[in-house]
Amino acid sequence: MSWAGPDDIFLSTSLATYLDKKLLVLLRDGRKLLGLLRSFDQFANVILEGACERVIVGDLYCDIPLGLYVIRGENVVLIGELDLEKEELPSRMNPVSEAEIKRLWKNCKLQK
Amino acid sequence: MLFFSYFKDLVGREVTVELKNDLAIRGTLHSVDQYLNIKLENTRVVDQDKYPHMLSVRNCFIRGSVVRYVPLPPEEVDIELLHDATRREARGG
Repeated sequence: MSWAGPDDIFLSTSLATYLDKKLLVLLRDGRKLLGLLRSFDQFANVILEGACERVIVGDLYCDIPLGLYVIRGENVVLIGELDLEKEELPSRMNPVSEAEIKRLWKNCKLQK
Repeated sequence: MLFFSYFKDLVGREVTVELKNDLAIRGTLHSVDQYLNIKLENTRVVDQDKYPHMLSVRNCFIRGSVVRYVPLPPEEVDIELLHDATRREARGG
Protein backbone atom coordinates (compact mmCIF):
# COMPACT_ATOMS: atom_id res chain seq x y z
CA MET A 1 0.00 0.00 0.00
CA SER A 2 1.34 3.41 -0.90
CA TRP A 3 2.42 5.85 1.77
CA ALA A 4 0.53 9.03 1.04
CA GLY A 5 1.92 12.49 1.53
CA PRO A 6 -0.24 15.02 3.33
CA ASP A 7 -1.90 16.19 0.12
CA ASP A 8 -2.70 12.93 -1.61
CA ILE A 9 -4.08 11.08 1.40
CA PHE A 10 -7.52 11.18 -0.15
CA LEU A 11 -6.40 9.74 -3.49
CA SER A 12 -4.26 6.81 -2.35
CA THR A 13 -4.97 3.27 -1.26
CA SER A 14 -3.56 4.08 2.16
CA LEU A 15 -5.53 2.70 5.06
CA ALA A 16 -4.97 5.99 6.88
CA THR A 17 -8.47 7.14 5.96
CA TYR A 18 -9.84 4.16 7.90
CA LEU A 19 -7.96 4.91 11.17
CA ASP A 20 -10.19 4.87 14.26
CA LYS A 21 -13.13 3.70 12.16
CA LYS A 22 -15.19 0.58 12.73
CA LEU A 23 -14.19 -1.88 10.07
CA LEU A 24 -15.12 -5.29 8.75
CA VAL A 25 -12.05 -7.37 7.93
CA LEU A 26 -12.59 -10.49 5.82
CA LEU A 27 -9.93 -13.15 6.22
CA ARG A 28 -8.83 -15.84 3.79
CA ASP A 29 -10.24 -18.58 6.02
CA GLY A 30 -13.70 -16.99 5.72
CA ARG A 31 -13.72 -15.34 9.13
CA LYS A 32 -15.28 -11.91 9.56
CA LEU A 33 -13.68 -9.68 12.16
CA LEU A 34 -14.98 -6.32 13.24
CA GLY A 35 -13.18 -3.66 15.19
CA LEU A 36 -11.60 -0.21 15.29
CA LEU A 37 -8.52 0.26 13.14
CA ARG A 38 -5.65 1.48 15.26
CA SER A 39 -2.60 0.63 13.15
CA PHE A 40 -1.53 -0.72 9.76
CA ASP A 41 1.53 -1.07 7.55
CA GLN A 42 2.52 -1.61 3.91
CA PHE A 43 1.76 -5.35 4.13
CA ALA A 44 -1.81 -4.66 5.28
CA ASN A 45 -0.89 -5.97 8.73
CA VAL A 46 -3.55 -4.42 10.90
CA ILE A 47 -4.32 -3.78 14.55
CA LEU A 48 -7.98 -3.87 15.55
CA GLU A 49 -9.12 -2.67 18.95
CA GLY A 50 -12.29 -4.09 20.50
CA ALA A 51 -12.29 -6.80 17.87
CA CYS A 52 -15.01 -9.39 17.62
CA GLU A 53 -15.67 -12.26 15.27
CA ARG A 54 -19.11 -12.25 13.65
CA VAL A 55 -20.09 -15.86 13.14
CA ILE A 56 -23.03 -16.35 10.79
CA VAL A 57 -24.95 -19.57 10.29
CA GLY A 58 -27.96 -19.12 8.03
CA ASP A 59 -30.05 -16.32 9.52
CA LEU A 60 -28.45 -16.56 12.95
CA TYR A 61 -25.33 -14.78 14.10
CA CYS A 62 -23.20 -14.03 17.16
CA ASP A 63 -20.44 -11.51 17.80
CA ILE A 64 -17.70 -13.20 19.83
CA PRO A 65 -15.47 -10.66 21.59
CA LEU A 66 -11.73 -11.00 20.98
CA GLY A 67 -10.12 -7.83 22.37
CA LEU A 68 -6.97 -6.32 20.83
CA TYR A 69 -5.93 -8.17 17.67
CA VAL A 70 -2.90 -8.04 15.39
CA ILE A 71 -3.81 -9.46 11.98
CA ARG A 72 -1.06 -10.54 9.61
CA GLY A 73 -1.65 -8.93 6.21
CA GLU A 74 -1.30 -12.11 4.16
CA ASN A 75 -4.59 -13.31 5.68
CA VAL A 76 -6.50 -10.17 4.76
CA VAL A 77 -8.96 -10.35 1.87
CA LEU A 78 -10.86 -7.14 2.27
CA ILE A 79 -11.18 -4.26 4.69
CA GLY A 80 -14.57 -2.59 4.57
CA GLU A 81 -15.69 0.61 6.19
CA LEU A 82 -19.02 0.09 7.93
CA ASP A 83 -21.56 2.83 7.29
CA LEU A 84 -22.81 3.62 10.80
CA GLU A 85 -26.10 4.95 9.45
CA LYS A 86 -26.97 1.66 7.85
CA GLU A 87 -27.98 -1.66 9.31
CA GLU A 88 -24.96 -3.93 9.53
CA LEU A 89 -27.05 -7.00 8.90
CA PRO A 90 -30.42 -7.65 7.21
CA SER A 91 -33.36 -7.53 9.61
CA ARG A 92 -34.20 -11.18 8.96
CA MET A 93 -31.07 -12.14 10.93
CA ASN A 94 -31.27 -12.85 14.64
CA PRO A 95 -28.57 -12.90 17.33
CA VAL A 96 -27.97 -16.02 19.38
CA SER A 97 -25.58 -16.90 22.18
CA GLU A 98 -21.95 -17.86 21.63
CA ALA A 99 -22.61 -21.42 22.76
CA GLU A 100 -25.53 -21.73 20.35
CA ILE A 101 -23.67 -20.37 17.32
CA LYS A 102 -20.71 -22.67 18.00
CA ARG A 103 -23.09 -25.63 18.15
CA LEU A 104 -24.77 -24.60 14.90
CA TRP A 105 -21.40 -23.99 13.26
CA LYS A 106 -20.14 -27.45 14.20
CA ASN A 107 -23.30 -29.07 12.82
CA CYS A 108 -22.91 -27.05 9.66
CA LYS A 109 -19.29 -28.21 9.24
CA LEU A 110 -20.21 -31.85 9.85
CA GLN A 111 -22.86 -31.71 7.16
CA LYS A 112 -20.43 -30.44 4.52
CA MET B 1 4.30 -1.03 -13.52
CA LEU B 2 2.22 -1.43 -16.67
CA PHE B 3 -0.94 -2.67 -14.97
CA PHE B 4 -0.52 -0.12 -12.20
CA SER B 5 -0.46 2.65 -14.84
CA TYR B 6 -3.40 1.06 -16.61
CA PHE B 7 -5.52 0.93 -13.46
CA LYS B 8 -4.59 4.52 -12.62
CA ASP B 9 -6.27 5.51 -15.90
CA LEU B 10 -9.40 3.63 -14.83
CA VAL B 11 -9.77 5.59 -11.57
CA GLY B 12 -13.27 7.05 -11.37
CA ARG B 13 -14.83 4.26 -13.44
CA GLU B 14 -17.34 1.67 -12.25
CA VAL B 15 -15.67 -1.71 -12.04
CA THR B 16 -16.47 -5.15 -10.69
CA VAL B 17 -13.73 -6.93 -8.78
CA GLU B 18 -14.01 -10.70 -8.44
CA LEU B 19 -12.01 -12.12 -5.56
CA LYS B 20 -10.44 -15.54 -5.15
CA ASN B 21 -13.03 -16.36 -2.47
CA ASP B 22 -15.71 -15.90 -5.18
CA LEU B 23 -16.99 -12.64 -3.69
CA ALA B 24 -17.68 -10.09 -6.44
CA ILE B 25 -17.91 -6.40 -5.58
CA ARG B 26 -19.02 -3.59 -7.83
CA GLY B 27 -17.94 -0.03 -7.13
CA THR B 28 -16.19 3.10 -8.28
CA LEU B 29 -12.43 2.68 -8.53
CA HIS B 30 -11.03 5.15 -6.02
CA SER B 31 -7.37 4.24 -6.10
CA VAL B 32 -4.81 1.59 -6.86
CA ASP B 33 -1.20 1.10 -5.80
CA GLN B 34 1.96 -0.69 -6.92
CA TYR B 35 0.74 -3.97 -5.40
CA LEU B 36 -2.54 -3.55 -7.32
CA ASN B 37 -4.33 -3.16 -3.99
CA ILE B 38 -7.67 -1.55 -4.83
CA LYS B 39 -9.91 0.87 -3.00
CA LEU B 40 -13.53 0.97 -4.12
CA GLU B 41 -16.26 3.45 -3.21
CA ASN B 42 -20.05 3.16 -3.36
CA THR B 43 -19.68 -0.56 -3.25
CA ARG B 44 -22.38 -3.13 -3.56
CA VAL B 45 -21.90 -6.84 -3.52
CA VAL B 46 -23.05 -8.97 -6.44
CA ASP B 47 -25.33 -11.63 -4.89
CA GLN B 48 -25.91 -9.58 -1.71
CA ASP B 49 -28.09 -12.28 -0.09
CA LYS B 50 -25.17 -14.64 0.09
CA TYR B 51 -23.01 -12.08 1.93
CA PRO B 52 -25.23 -10.44 4.57
CA HIS B 53 -22.21 -9.19 6.55
CA MET B 54 -21.34 -6.86 3.65
CA LEU B 55 -24.67 -5.03 3.82
CA SER B 56 -23.45 -1.76 5.34
CA VAL B 57 -20.04 -1.71 3.65
CA ARG B 58 -19.91 1.23 1.25
CA ASN B 59 -16.15 1.67 0.83
CA CYS B 60 -13.50 -0.98 0.97
CA PHE B 61 -9.84 -1.76 0.55
CA ILE B 62 -9.07 -4.95 -1.36
CA ARG B 63 -5.66 -6.55 -1.02
CA GLY B 64 -4.18 -7.05 -4.47
CA SER B 65 -3.12 -10.63 -3.71
CA VAL B 66 -6.76 -11.80 -3.38
CA VAL B 67 -8.06 -10.47 -6.70
CA ARG B 68 -8.97 -13.06 -9.32
CA TYR B 69 -10.53 -10.89 -12.06
CA VAL B 70 -11.39 -7.33 -12.91
CA PRO B 71 -13.84 -7.79 -15.80
CA LEU B 72 -14.05 -4.82 -18.14
CA PRO B 73 -16.39 -4.07 -21.04
CA PRO B 74 -14.44 -4.27 -24.33
CA GLU B 75 -15.77 -0.93 -25.56
CA GLU B 76 -14.15 0.81 -22.58
CA VAL B 77 -10.73 -0.69 -23.16
CA ASP B 78 -8.23 0.51 -25.75
CA ILE B 79 -6.69 -2.91 -26.29
CA GLU B 80 -4.32 -1.68 -29.01
CA LEU B 81 -2.82 0.86 -26.63
CA LEU B 82 -2.28 -1.84 -24.01
CA HIS B 83 -0.87 -4.18 -26.64
CA ASP B 84 1.65 -1.55 -27.81
CA ALA B 85 2.65 -0.67 -24.25
CA THR B 86 3.22 -4.37 -23.49
CA ARG B 87 5.40 -4.84 -26.56
CA ARG B 88 7.42 -1.78 -25.61
CA GLU B 89 7.91 -3.02 -22.03
CA ALA B 90 8.88 -6.48 -23.27
CA ARG B 91 11.49 -4.96 -25.57
CA GLY B 92 12.91 -2.69 -22.87
CA GLY B 93 12.88 -5.34 -20.11
